Amino acid sequence: MLMTLPAGLALGSSYALLAVGFTLVFGVLRRVNLAYGATVMLGIYGALWVQERTGGGPVLMLLIVLIVTVVIGIYVEKLCFAPHSRRAAVTSMAASFAVWMQLEEVATLLLPGHALPFPSPFGQASGLDVAGFRLAHLLALGCALSVCAGFWALLYRTGFGLAVRALIESRQAAACAGIDVPRISALIFVLASALGAVAGWIIVGIDGQVTPMFAMWATLKGIIAAILGGLGSLPGAVAGGLLLGVVETVAQRSFGPQVRDLCSYLLLFAVLALCPSGLSALWSAAGASRAAEET
Amino acid sequence: MSGPILEITGLAGGYGGADVLRGVSLSVERGSIACLLGPNGAGKTTLMMTLAGLIRPRRGAMRFDGREVAGQPPHVAVARGIVLVPQDRMVFRTLSVGDNLRVGALRQAGGRRIEADLERIYGRFPRLRERRGQMAGTLSGGEQQMLAIARALMSRPKLLLLDEPSLGLAPLVVEDIFRLVTEINAEGTSILLVDQNVPMATGIARRVHLMEQGKITFSGEPGRLPEEELVERAWFGRLAGNAATASREEVG
Amino acid sequence: MDDYWLGILANMGLLSFLALSSYVLLIGGAMSFGQQAFFGIGAYAAGMATVLGAVPLGVALALAAVVGGLAAGALGAATLRLRGFHFSVASLAAAEAVRISLELFSLRVVSSEGRMTGPNGIEGFRGIRYLYERGYGPVDFVLLIYGVLGLVLLALWLSERRRFGLTLRMAGEDPVLARTLGVDVRKARIAAAAAAGAIAALGGGLFAHYNTYVEPSNFGMMLGVHGLAYALIGGLGAPVGPLLGVGIDILLVEASRIFHGYRMVAFGGIVAVFLIFRPRGILDERLVNRLRAWAGRAGRHTPDQPAGEAKGAS
Repeated sequence: MLMTLPAGLALGSSYALLAVGFTLVFGVLRRVNLAYGATVMLGIYGALWVQERTGGGPVLMLLIVLIVTVVIGIYVEKLCFAPHSRRAAVTSMAASFAVWMQLEEVATLLLPGHALPFPSPFGQASGLDVAGFRLAHLLALGCALSVCAGFWALLYRTGFGLAVRALIESRQAAACAGIDVPRISALIFVLASALGAVAGWIIVGIDGQVTPMFAMWATLKGIIAAILGGLGSLPGAVAGGLLLGVVETVAQRSFGPQVRDLCSYLLLFAVLALCPSGLSALWSAAGASRAAEET
Repeated sequence: MSGPILEITGLAGGYGGADVLRGVSLSVERGSIACLLGPNGAGKTTLMMTLAGLIRPRRGAMRFDGREVAGQPPHVAVARGIVLVPQDRMVFRTLSVGDNLRVGALRQAGGRRIEADLERIYGRFPRLRERRGQMAGTLSGGEQQMLAIARALMSRPKLLLLDEPSLGLAPLVVEDIFRLVTEINAEGTSILLVDQNVPMATGIARRVHLMEQGKITFSGEPGRLPEEELVERAWFGRLAGNAATASREEVG
Repeated sequence: MDDYWLGILANMGLLSFLALSSYVLLIGGAMSFGQQAFFGIGAYAAGMATVLGAVPLGVALALAAVVGGLAAGALGAATLRLRGFHFSVASLAAAEAVRISLELFSLRVVSSEGRMTGPNGIEGFRGIRYLYERGYGPVDFVLLIYGVLGLVLLALWLSERRRFGLTLRMAGEDPVLARTLGVDVRKARIAAAAAAGAIAALGGGLFAHYNTYVEPSNFGMMLGVHGLAYALIGGLGAPVGPLLGVGIDILLVEASRIFHGYRMVAFGGIVAVFLIFRPRGILDERLVNRLRAWAGRAGRHTPDQPAGEAKGAS
């Protein structure tokens, strides 16, 4: 059981990055971007498409994934979120789903095929073990944690981060305090896309390949982890991601993939039905129940 | 510069389809306290939000500090010096007291100046200094109101809009708030104040504006209208038709 | 009419059940990503009823509707507190849990012909041959599907004009206001969930018998979300709205083959742009009311029938 912990945490840390992206957009815009996974997937496919023509190592790939994902993220924002009024949260969610379908097909038209090999940034390390743990898992965990730490510093050590935290708390109060709400909101979307891009790069790096199922997989895992942690809560997203990763890994080792998925969906349903504010209810009674009501 | 700091003429608009404001005209003298009274539903809060840029007016002109500003977005309003302390206080409940204050100063460039301002504010509000690490949601109602006003001061306002600062507070705290408002004004900040506490509000105001059904129906010095009538109309609206006709001459 | 077009027609009919199922929830303000689960439950229930229980198809469909309605009602009760996105995700989680449960579900028995039959986990459920064994052809299937669909539409149309429909729309529009007006929002939402589940299960039962073979992967998230998209495109003003949505996607986009190979690029883009201009679909409440008024004026000469429904009966 203990041996599965690093693998679970490595998986969970990438879930956490995806969940932070969701929770950030939800926290600031009160919107859910279902096209999130597809956006990241198109970024990954775009990078592979470029690599097929020019070659390039993992770092260059990361750069291209980032650029393409952010550009597509802006496209999604302009098409699905900017035009809809604040009350039409459901409509914009439906629009983002439609765009998901669109982006997914664009990706598979770009590069057909079931599974595409992706150059692993942890490639040389994938076979090695350190004290019984797979080195690749430790590296992935380290990557994800350093991104989390950087993000935390951005949020808690800069004026931009303060503006974001204020905006998450109350849009109107933030406007009264002189924060440029539309500009920060747009930046949030870009930031969430960038986080998704890094998460995607780590995940397909561990796997060494990417399939057309990635869009749905990333969206679902991100949503599940975000809700487990309490949608809108940033520490919750990290905790939810790690919890999901560990639960899945343990369930998979013990009962196989079907039961693993069943477990994560039942866990998600139970959290929603019994405690919609998720793990964040453990440390904040005030902020969390709000999230469930405002959508 | 002389002349009024704020001058609005024929301002109309509001949420959704219907106009809550139906041609509001008033002015606030530079360096003075003006007080806006009126019954519930008269449009006072809508006017304050329109002045702060949270609602776009449909018609009318708004001159602030000699410049036309109607339709400005809220962050631009703050940058120009119009800062609203909204009715329900709206502190950031999950942010610390210190962070709440810093948010008010985000528009100001330079961290050192922010920290200097912060020191100044803490000097004036020792209670906030004591609680600077605490989450704002844990403060009492009066402390939250102090925090909301202090946050507005961090934005270095030229015109401070206070929407019902005494709402729901104990009488002693209300006195503190009004004392604070006069102090802020004495340091040169112009103030437009909405409050239901008519005796206290008229006590500190140089000019009183009475708003009923989306229009200003009386503007003048507090003494020009008997306090009883002001109280009555601020609470109940235009009950006595005669009084309304009589006072209309004073508008304009 | 050739088999290709019969297939298209049958698909449109079957998807219409799912679209109507989403519609019933949408007018109550709930956006479900999980109606495919009840489609699947209905398919398995009806299939098991005719194959293992040897009951007539009518009984099997009724049974499917009851099972689907009960399951959906129970789920609706469990998610009563949830709004907006949280409800959507809860419905998705439940639906995926159902799908995986179907993957794990086996009930193998020896049929009268001596072969093994019944649901077989991830392999699916083969040999739902009730209609074929009785010599019915594709035209009969299509007629059956549209017959049942017509009944569902009639039931929806009747209930929308009565208290239930009004209550549901009020609960969807403004739950707080509805509650202060004395509307039992909770009851309305559970009833809507049950009705939506029953409608989806009916479609599933028909699908199983049309296809003769179902497997859990038939009932993935994509199926449910298509139903949802159809209702949103077609419109939330009247029950024919969702059918319009189905028609637009299947006839214009898929069957016409204009966007061959780029189908989702086109469909996704159309829906996203579309929602900016008509957030409540083509046949939204305002258009329906205008059509009603117009039909009312024309109705002095012709029998009174709302224009929206007149189109849908075909």
